[in-house]
Amino acid sequence: MARQQGWFALILALAIAASALLVTFPLQLGLDLRGGSQLTLQVMPAGAITSVDQEQLEAVKEVLERRINGLGVAESTLQTVGNDQLVLQLPGEQDPSRAAKVLGSTALLEFRAQRAGTEQEMQGLLSLKRQAEAVLNLERQRRSALNNPAAAGADNEAAQPPADFPEDQLAQALRQLDIAVPAGASEIDQLELLLDAVNTQIVALYEPAAFTGKELVTAGRQQQQSGSGWEVTLSFTQTGGEQFANLTRNIAGTGRLLGIVLDGRSISEASVGPEFQAAGIAGGAASITGNFTAEEARDLEVQLRGGSLPLPIRVVEVRTVGPSLGADNIRSSLVAALLGLALVAVFMVLVYRLAGVVAVLALSLYALFNLALYALIPVTLTLPGIAGFILSLGMAVDANVLIFERIKDELRSGSTLIRSIETGFSLAFSSILDGQLTTLISCVALFALGTGFVKGFAVTLGIGVLLSLFSAFTCTRTLLRLLMSYPALRRPSYFLPRIQLPAATS
Amino acid sequence: MTLLSSLLGVRVNRRRRQFWAISAVALALSLLGLGLSWRAPSIGAPLRLGLDFTGGTQIQIARLCGERCAELGSDAVEVRLEGLTLPVEDDGARPPSLGGSSVQLLDGGEQVLLRLPSLSAAQGQAVVDGLQSLLGPTDPAGLAVETIGPTLGARLLRASLISLAVSFVGISAYITFRYDRLFALLALLCLGHDVLITCGVFAWLGLLAGVEVNSLFAVALLTIAGYSVNDTVVIFDRIREKRGQLKELPLADQADAAVSATLTRSIYTTFTTLLPLVALILFGGSTLFWFAVALSVGVLVGAWSSVAVAPTLLPVLAKS
Repeated sequence: MARQQGWFALILALAIAASALLVTFPLQLGLDLRGGSQLTLQVMPAGAITSVDQEQLEAVKEVLERRINGLGVAESTLQTVGNDQLVLQLPGEQDPSRAAKVLGSTALLEFRAQRAGTEQEMQGLLSLKRQAEAVLNLERQRRSALNNPAAAGADNEAAQPPADFPEDQLAQALRQLDIAVPAGASEIDQLELLLDAVNTQIVALYEPAAFTGKELVTAGRQQQQSGSGWEVTLSFTQTGGEQFANLTRNIAGTGRLLGIVLDGRSISEASVGPEFQAAGIAGGAASITGNFTAEEARDLEVQLRGGSLPLPIRVVEVRTVGPSLGADNIRSSLVAALLGLALVAVFMVLVYRLAGVVAVLALSLYALFNLALYALIPVTLTLPGIAGFILSLGMAVDANVLIFERIKDELRSGSTLIRSIETGFSLAFSSILDGQLTTLISCVALFALGTGFVKGFAVTLGIGVLLSLFSAFTCTRTLLRLLMSYPALRRPSYFLPRIQLPAATS
Repeated sequence: MTLLSSLLGVRVNRRRRQFWAISAVALALSLLGLGLSWRAPSIGAPLRLGLDFTGGTQIQIARLCGERCAELGSDAVEVRLEGLTLPVEDDGARPPSLGGSSVQLLDGGEQVLLRLPSLSAAQGQAVVDGLQSLLGPTDPAGLAVETIGPTLGARLLRASLISLAVSFVGISAYITFRYDRLFALLALLCLGHDVLITCGVFAWLGLLAGVEVNSLFAVALLTIAGYSVNDTVVIFDRIREKRGQLKELPLADQADAAVSATLTRSIYTTFTTLLPLVALILFGGSTLFWFAVALSVGVLVGAWSSVAVAPTLLPVLAKS
């Protein structure tokens, strides 16, 4: 008896601990249940590297992690999968295109000098660029003022020079640059296309790169001294600083420009005044003033600071789930699962009577322990994970059915109640153990070798199988023995219809 | 109860030819379904493979309709899709053509499901924006976009097959250790039987109703494999026990005794496992519908094979 009460106290303590655990650590829901984006990135071999190894994958991951932190999406995770893939999860993020852009570009930053004799061409392109930029800024301000009238200050608009890009001029500029405009493109779309083309053409007017972003130590951003835009600040390594001084000395006072090129697009053109003719811009620091918005400046800073990716990557999979889809799935699946379990409980009580009540109690404890373990480990619950949970619950019920059928067999053959219960448990043990162990073997194989959702499924099923052994042989047995210590409950007819009992005991 | 007790007296080995015939017909039909589906030009694989395996982009848009949705035909959506111009990618690759995309309207037009060639995130957004005027107000919280590269599907399939093969080896090693080689062979035969018939059912569903298999179907097959072995092992355990008790009887009678002793358990367990699955089919989310169907089929077939196939094949194979 004392041993029984000891076990019972243990189970009670575990149940309280599990409940407390569930209250303090909420369950982690996967992206398919809570909404968000998931991107799978493939690391591509390039140059001398023909296959990606673990070390290179880690290097890519490190760079990407820095860029992701810059994006400011809470609780984002980045995991390596296999030898050459990374999976990025962005909970709550509905538009993965910005993330894909920031992650995917290799961010090749170059510092170049303008070629001699291209001044006129450059002037034409630059004036086009400035005009397009000014109108684009105005349009954007107008749009954000529409969306958010309180934030747009009146003095802000007055300070901007009036900019205008008549429709026919814009069309002509686009034609000159050979840009095909998709039907129905808005003015802003057209301006962006124009800017993009201009920025590519400007690069053609530069000398080859003097040095690249490898010499960059860090990047930051600050509000521009004049105007409303942001600028990105750079600081170089020692060699980078020398090269930068060299570059600026060469073009100082000549009217040629210093170009900062990111991934083949000019992002900033700076003139260097004659006062730098002697030594160039020394000190190892510079800033890019491209009239950026705060968000653009942050994206650029993140790209620059993240450094160049050692290997290019490609986005091979994008999954986005809206939060309401996830919520619908949770609600209906949860209702369905609970309904199914309620029916199972009714069935158990009808068929196994008192033992069925004990089984329902034990199975409720089983579900509680399961969820507590998910919160503790922690296991991220996804739809396949829930499926694994439901299936393991089915197997836990099976364990109870096996035991109770054995008890019934013993009762029918005329054993006493207490003896029947003990024999039932010990006879059922080997088949339950074999069944659960074979399932566990598959779980281990699936977990070790499977990918993504197969892993999630294997984890919940594996935990469920292990717990169901504990549940059947500890919870069910202890509760049953405890009840049997009350003589009023010690009646075979609480387990089996009287008609099936041998005459001798009834 | 009368039905149960009459079943309890059943001696499966007396009727083994009938049982084998039923399984053989089911297997033949499954193979036929798989073969037909392979030959069908629109499928070209034993099963109608979904997005997860073929690659591509799937976009689901939820319309905000209020009382009832404005009339919308899938033809109108297709025409609009063909007229869309997608943004060019950074690497300069031509955007894919959207002709021949499939459009499905679900829940009385409230949900629009598009199957498109593989698109980048920006191109997917362009499709959603492009359809905006046609669909009317939509719920941004109900938008789902999935893009899967074709290599990913192949990788997934390979990983699943390898893990399945390894778990086969592990399970047979365990059964050989606990029972003997013959039992391991039988367990694997039953497992193959269950998985093949489940695949056959979905091949026919794919042929007749256009049902596609996705990665969840792969999970369902893995589950069925585990469940099938679990179910069979319980009967093996009882056969082993009966062999000790009924030493003087032939193996066929020992197997019959084991089956009739565990039959109640087999029926109850199948029933209690099916209950939550049927609840999922009837009331669960659409995502899990076919998953629950696959599992239910597998559970039923698995129960059949462990009661009617494994114990009847055992005496025959033991003699040879």
